[in-house]
Amino acid sequence: MTQHEATMPRVSPPARPRAFGGFGTIVGAAAAGVLALGVPQLGVPYVTSLAFTFLVFFVLAQSWDWIGGLAGYVNLGHFAYYGIGAYAFSIALVSGVPTPVCFLIAAAAVAMIAALLSFPLFRLTGDYFAFATLAVLPLAELLAFNLVPLTGGADGIVLPPRYVLVPAFYTAVGLAVVTFALSVLLARSRFGYALKSIRNDEQAAEVVGIRIFPAKRAVMVLSGAFAALAGAVHAWQLSYIDPPTVFGLNVALVPVAMALFGGSGLLWGPLVGVVLLFSVQQYLLVNMTMLHATVYGLIILLIGRFMPGGLLRASVARATPLLRGLTREVHHEIAPAPAAAGREKRLPMPVRKPDPDKVLLSLKGITKAFGGNVAVNAVTLDVREGEVIGLVGANGSGKTTLFNCISKVYEPTGTLLFDGTDMKGLRRDQVAGIGVGRTFQNPRPFGDLTVAENIAVAATFRADRPSMTAALQEAQSYAAFVGLEERFTQRADALSLQEKKSLELARALALHPKLLLVDEVASGLTPAEVKRFVAHIREIREVYGVTVIWVEHIFSALAQIVDRLVVLEQGQVIADAPLAEAVRDERVLAAYLGSAATKEGH
Amino acid sequence: MPVDILIQIAIGGILIGGLYALFAFGLSLIYGVARILNFAHGTLLAIAGVLGSILYGLLGANPLALIGIIALLAVVFFGFGWAFHDTLLAPLKRRSHFEASVGTVLTTVGALIVIGDVAAALAGPRPRNIPIRSDVLEFGDILIPVSQAWMLAAIALLTVVLHLVLTRSWYGRAVRAVTQDHVGAALCGVRARVIHGITFGLGASLAAVAGVLYATVYPIDPYAGFNLTVKAFTIIVLGGVGNLLGALAAGLFLGVAEAFTAFFWAAEWASALSIFLLLAILVAFPQGFGAARRT
Repeated sequence: MTQHEATMPRVSPPARPRAFGGFGTIVGAAAAGVLALGVPQLGVPYVTSLAFTFLVFFVLAQSWDWIGGLAGYVNLGHFAYYGIGAYAFSIALVSGVPTPVCFLIAAAAVAMIAALLSFPLFRLTGDYFAFATLAVLPLAELLAFNLVPLTGGADGIVLPPRYVLVPAFYTAVGLAVVTFALSVLLARSRFGYALKSIRNDEQAAEVVGIRIFPAKRAVMVLSGAFAALAGAVHAWQLSYIDPPTVFGLNVALVPVAMALFGGSGLLWGPLVGVVLLFSVQQYLLVNMTMLHATVYGLIILLIGRFMPGGLLRASVARATPLLRGLTREVHHEIAPAPAAAGREKRLPMPVRKPDPDKVLLSLKGITKAFGGNVAVNAVTLDVREGEVIGLVGANGSGKTTLFNCISKVYEPTGTLLFDGTDMKGLRRDQVAGIGVGRTFQNPRPFGDLTVAENIAVAATFRADRPSMTAALQEAQSYAAFVGLEERFTQRADALSLQEKKSLELARALALHPKLLLVDEVASGLTPAEVKRFVAHIREIREVYGVTVIWVEHIFSALAQIVDRLVVLEQGQVIADAPLAEAVRDERVLAAYLGSAATKEGH
Repeated sequence: MPVDILIQIAIGGILIGGLYALFAFGLSLIYGVARILNFAHGTLLAIAGVLGSILYGLLGANPLALIGIIALLAVVFFGFGWAFHDTLLAPLKRRSHFEASVGTVLTTVGALIVIGDVAAALAGPRPRNIPIRSDVLEFGDILIPVSQAWMLAAIALLTVVLHLVLTRSWYGRAVRAVTQDHVGAALCGVRARVIHGITFGLGASLAAVAGVLYATVYPIDPYAGFNLTVKAFTIIVLGGVGNLLGALAAGLFLGVAEAFTAFFWAAEWASALSIFLLLAILVAFPQGFGAARRT
């Protein structure tokens, strides 16, 4: 990367101070933790135990949000990890294991269970995932009731009678500070960005080279281990646990409700939610004798009905001076480079010298059928290095399906060879890794990330693994290349359709592809914009040696640049010839350009 | 092991399995049409059972009154389901995808907790049942209470009626139109919100019927709901969303499997069976068995 660093624009200091969410926040949290250590010195056990419970809820809500907020999976069974952690800790403690080791055992046991559970659970998404995770709770409760020799069944487990409130409180403070610091670090890490990409669009995440299942499993394990530690420290303090206490459905969803009430996915969301709902809970406990669960259920219901995005996303919060600073989304930012430097001519891409005799991509008998509809039918095609191929055909002729077969959105039958590698069985992220970049016909940027982050995510998951900061600096060049420098720090879902298509091109280029699959990027552009776009493709090919397959209906655009035209009709290649030859082919005229073209003698 | 004991157990399993299926239809229908996974579905069944038991007691334990009770609760629950959807769930459709999905989950989970707790506060948390005295049909050593035979017949009849409604009626066509393309349906004068509301009501109604029938066989308490929702969910994953016959087969299978688990192993493990089964299906059939769809 040193080669580009010389050509990279100089980065000036951030334009505005990052009040919350930076590394300073971690220092602040640590300081707050040190202050909190003074609470037991007040000598009021009630206050200490209240603060203790608060911290346990915070750890639960915040660790839940690593899956819920970052990865966008609603894990309603999070509390089961807390319960299993409490049981593992208690069983170990009762058998005479030293206390610190018991904590480790609790975390390790749950990490293993979470890793196992992630296999069936992450087969699902959306409501199905939420449901299946919730089903884990009654399962855990049943096991706790029925595995009597281990868990004591309905009698629960009584821990040795010792007064541990103060050490338990200190442990909880440490745990809460670590949890918070980890949240700050996660949000800015490569792993965190893998999760945020998953939250937005799993397929697009895979196509930019992210291996999604291990990332989901890892976050499940991490969040489970922290919930287990919360359960362990709580069991230590309570000194007695039984199945309804640690697996009960009524308490189980409280941390989830807290995180969502504050604002899932925002750094301060879970904390704000825990502070507010915990206060409400304490008030109700003191002032109500019955129907606690009803009030809780009602709060959960009303949050769902009126504020599923959370308090910090509501306009009320932005208008409240005290909360405004907490409502900011955490985006990794670098200051935009000066305009002149941003238009730096050279992209930070490797320069390849194409060998025109070498076949880069070879398709043999590629077939993909959906039921009885054979969308791609025995396509055989060789693409040589440095070529620009125009792929045309009527709507429904199989162009996009062919792209999907190459990028492994679908697994076709037939043989696919790329750069000497047999692509059979490769995952989408591996396809990206060996050098195939693509855009989607309907753009699929990561909507709640900025333009900068969208491009940087693709860069940071390349084989050379640049850091997020380095990736963001690179991203400036790609954004400038496709004309998005003005939009650099804006969210991708605020872009127009054309801008989204440009963003997809920039994101695909950040992968440093050998082969670029471009799917109808030019449709809807003005003639001047089309011209600019053609110039881009030319530059990508001529300067960087990237091979391009371009699906497009704007024939005049293709005509300016393509070496070869491949024409599909009903999934079959009906022509594969240099442009001048192809446009004289009767079948091509009939199938694609239409009979009018024949009469005009094109 | 005498064969007639096995048959006797299987018959018990089929009976409870038929109830599971009836109840799973509602969940399946609501999910298939409105794309809402109603976490409170089992709770509706539980409180219908409790209400049925109270009404049955008030009406002097007259078996004929049971039909009236079922009809009454079916109507009341229909209205409740429709109103629930219209006031609490339909407005969420306007939000972003993630917010709508989280909002729906929280709203129905909140309802699950509230309904169960309020019912327990009013009617008491203890399990209730509907004791019906009935004659017993004897086939050799196999005994079938007449009431349960009637119940099976009623479930079969309801399945057929439901199937006909969904395939032959205007409502059925509207449901399919809305499921496939709600904008297109709206352009043809079919309002998705109304169809979703009716479907929600119908689902609640089916839960009510299943709840009263359930209480004639097993005691049920207001908190029993969620475990039943898990069963219904397992059934629709097994049988396929919106697939009535699939749900019927899966329901019968689960009922019989639970009965045998309880007999050969231990009753307390029978209720874990559906969860194990669910996780196993998810591992074995990543694309879903039937229709566990990836969204």
